[in-house]
Amino acid sequence: MIKIQNLSKVFRTEEVETKALNEISLEVKQGEFVTIMGASGCGKSTLLNIVGLLDNASGGSYKLLDKEINGLSESEKSKVRKQNIGFVFQNFNLIDELSVYDNIELPLIYNNVPSGERKQRVEAIAERLAISHRLKHFPQQLSGGQQQRAAVARALVTNPKVILADEPTGNLDSKNGNEVMELLTDLHANGATILMVTHSDHDASFSQKTIFMKDGMILSEKRNSRNVDVLVSN
Amino acid sequence: MINNWLKIFLYQIKNNKFFTALNVLGLAMGIAGLIFAILYWNDEHSYNAWNPDKERIFYSVVDLGENKVWGASAAPVGSYLSSIPEVTEYCYMNAWYTSAVMQYKGKKAIIEKVTDAQKNFFSFFPFEFTMGNSATALQEGTVVLSEKTAKRLFGSDNPMGEVIQSGDKSFTVKGVYKLKGKSSFEPDLVTCEINPKLKEKESRWGSFSFAMLVKLKDPAKVATVQDKIEGLYYDYGTKRSAVESGISTKEYVDRYGKTKIYLESLKDLRLHSRVSDVPEGRGNYQFLLIMLGLSLLILLISIVNYVNLATANAIKRAKEVGVRKILGASKGNIVKQFVFETVLTTLFSMLLAMVIVEISLPYYNMFLGKELVIKGTQLHMQLLAVFIIIVALSGIMPAIYVSKFESINVLKGNFSRSKKGIWLRNGMLVFQFSIASFFIVGSYIVNQQVNYLGSKDLGFKGDQIIDINYRNPYDFTVDNFDKILARKYVSVKERLLSIKGVEQVSGGTFRIGGGASQQTTFTCGDKEVSLQYMIVDFDLLDLMKIKIAKGRDLSPNFASDTINSVLLNETAVKMFNLKDPVGKYVTYWDDKKFKIIGIVKDFHLNNPQDPIPPMIFSHYKTMNWMIQNTNNIYVKVNPKYMESAVAEMEELWRTVDPDYPFSYDFVDKNFARSYQSFVRQRNLFSLLNIAVIMIALFGLFALASYSIQRRMKEIAIRKTLGADTSVLLKELSKQYIIFCVVGFLIALFPVYILLDKWLDNFSYRISISVLPFIIGFVVLMALTLIVVLGRAYRATRVNVLKYLKYE
Repeated sequence: MIKIQNLSKVFRTEEVETKALNEISLEVKQGEFVTIMGASGCGKSTLLNIVGLLDNASGGSYKLLDKEINGLSESEKSKVRKQNIGFVFQNFNLIDELSVYDNIELPLIYNNVPSGERKQRVEAIAERLAISHRLKHFPQQLSGGQQQRAAVARALVTNPKVILADEPTGNLDSKNGNEVMELLTDLHANGATILMVTHSDHDASFSQKTIFMKDGMILSEKRNSRNVDVLVSN
Repeated sequence: MINNWLKIFLYQIKNNKFFTALNVLGLAMGIAGLIFAILYWNDEHSYNAWNPDKERIFYSVVDLGENKVWGASAAPVGSYLSSIPEVTEYCYMNAWYTSAVMQYKGKKAIIEKVTDAQKNFFSFFPFEFTMGNSATALQEGTVVLSEKTAKRLFGSDNPMGEVIQSGDKSFTVKGVYKLKGKSSFEPDLVTCEINPKLKEKESRWGSFSFAMLVKLKDPAKVATVQDKIEGLYYDYGTKRSAVESGISTKEYVDRYGKTKIYLESLKDLRLHSRVSDVPEGRGNYQFLLIMLGLSLLILLISIVNYVNLATANAIKRAKEVGVRKILGASKGNIVKQFVFETVLTTLFSMLLAMVIVEISLPYYNMFLGKELVIKGTQLHMQLLAVFIIIVALSGIMPAIYVSKFESINVLKGNFSRSKKGIWLRNGMLVFQFSIASFFIVGSYIVNQQVNYLGSKDLGFKGDQIIDINYRNPYDFTVDNFDKILARKYVSVKERLLSIKGVEQVSGGTFRIGGGASQQTTFTCGDKEVSLQYMIVDFDLLDLMKIKIAKGRDLSPNFASDTINSVLLNETAVKMFNLKDPVGKYVTYWDDKKFKIIGIVKDFHLNNPQDPIPPMIFSHYKTMNWMIQNTNNIYVKVNPKYMESAVAEMEELWRTVDPDYPFSYDFVDKNFARSYQSFVRQRNLFSLLNIAVIMIALFGLFALASYSIQRRMKEIAIRKTLGADTSVLLKELSKQYIIFCVVGFLIALFPVYILLDKWLDNFSYRISISVLPFIIGFVVLMALTLIVVLGRAYRATRVNVLKYLKYE
């Protein structure tokens, strides 16, 4: 699904050259749930942004669904992104001026889904995430957990091939955080491919594989046992 | 998609009610101004536009040098035009309307606009004939009526073949026409009585008394025809006169100049004519351009405002844009969304503008002296074009700016301090300051000039003097008609003098604020000067308090004063180049000699902006027939009895002139009217000035608010580090003061050039001093400081914690 080889990202200012990513190679297979961990500034968010086609790499190769991404134009990337990738952010990034319903509907509009089908799909996903009763509310009127569920609903409504989550529990208390993690686990159990960035060991333990990064390089990889998941989630 | 856009748009409006309202209002004011200008423009350009031959028909204008440019032709030239193959047709007519009392079966009506023309008039102005045949209707002894006139005289009866009476003449109605659109001639009634008058002057090549239109086969040949007509005047006029004066043709041309002919096409006659000698007059092209230019400036400033606010506001919407892009919106899609919002805002503004125009149209019409209406497909097309241009100018730039936001930066949250687009906004702010400076300084200078005109020493005193419009109709075919007119005048004068409160009465052939009815050439030595021929009664100069500089006034005590005495004004003396004029003689038409007995101090006759023309004054008995031109009787009334005196005069007038209502005005008011167009320009400028300053200040206010909002964190940090309020205020307002100065400096040069050009309209003008600039600068700076310091002061009062905790 995602295949990265010798990927690097360099930030330049007039005097200093910083390597945010240094020749990283990484593969995420279909149906995998992978976590990236590391200290602040280790390059994990940069990696996620590149994977999410929000940022450009300086060198190396990035293949999404066997298609080379590096070198695509902005509009081609935009097309690939809207068809294949769903985002979940730490600060939710819901549009405050639109209702929950409108927020979830938005990616469908941009994917030219006819309006009758849009309604069905928004309602279906809202029901699945238990926010049907909140569809008419505005984001500011919801709790943090509900906002993140709405954001997840928005990320999922297009049935993306990959879900990218950037510290999805960072702005939530532990109860709401757990809810969101369970949600992601469910999605994974149903076959979704998830790549998540987090600071939290607890969150990471929900995933199959954890990658540790430091100074733009991958330090180590660890396979998580499913047992732990079950224990904690109980 | 549209639905989604609409929701966001409505949300933005709801949460920014104040700014949205001001934005829409500003734009609406700009659009309304432009609509007004367009209405005026269309009206002026619609003159003769309906006429199918407008490009082939030409009006003959003669230039005799020394500013003697008239829309007139000599009577004999027409019959020679058949020798010019390029000319298909010509038509003589009066260059003005006369009014006539028409009578049908005892019912009288005053027809104000009577045109006397040759019988092919309707070939030049092919009005639609509802009755009769346009080719044959107009003949000697017939009249053709406009529909309006036919209705007034005949009601619903059929006018064809009926006979109407005017004085002792009768006319048969042979046709009724409908006026199509604006035209240089819009007569209510057309007669064909001009031929005897042409006949009378058929050998007078030097007498330019008639208007003449010619129709050409090919309009491109106009220069050739012009030369050929000039040739006719040269061969038959100039050469013969030279022989008669006993000098060579060359010497004659050197002394008196050559007759120059311009053929002006009917198409451009309204706005670009050299003269204003057609009945419906000439449009004020300069004023039209000023109107259009100023309204475009205002629209531009309101568009700039819109763009400024939209880009400033875009920062607040950065997150929305970032999220949309992540969810799949392309750049083009974002552009479309923001252009969509501009379309809606512009649409609102446009509707509001239409409301403003609709409501204030009557005042505007009063102001222009026109009857403009909002209608016509042309206007709709123009409005559509304006709409598209506004959307393009105000919508696309901010939309592209917004669409370029990098979503990744936006979502990281460090976007709101981005410096992108600031130079653009600041540049536009400077531009606004420039326009505002232009208006403040400009309107001050215009005001100065108009006040200067108003407070000028005019050389006469017009208050409490009534100028009665004395119609004085005559028929020169009646024997001794001049004696009859003189007797009538004396009797009217005596009856006026018997009214209580009337102190002095005197008639004249000129109107203060309008000019003399006659311009005639006099010679003195070898100098020939064309003078305003002012026929007066005794006392008229004294009545007006016009001073005598040398010699004496005309007086009944000298018998010679009714025979051959004249007065000159100072300008005339200067033009004759006379050292010691009193006692010298001037000659009229080579034969009659007049003795100069006094010099009149210069006074303004037509208006205060034009140079004082050379004038000659003599008693009406010195030139018997001139009594026929006495159309003004001046009456000095003791102000205590003003009301009763006017009432009695009106009563008296029923017997003097039973057909026409008594019409009079005060001399000072008449004169004030002569420069009213400039007073209007001043008022317009002042009004626009207020609009511009309001729009500009609002723009500044909004921009300062946004930029200070963006710097709130900085302010908070400075405050925690111990910055005083005064230091903060200085820090926050510094840049605006610089913009203000720069904007002002940019405006300096254009305002000087343009206003200097405008002032060249006036023979008596102020010079542009430094004062308007100082005042303009102080005003602009003061307003800027009030707005910026007000915003900045509020910013320094906020709770520091709110901004430090956040982000």
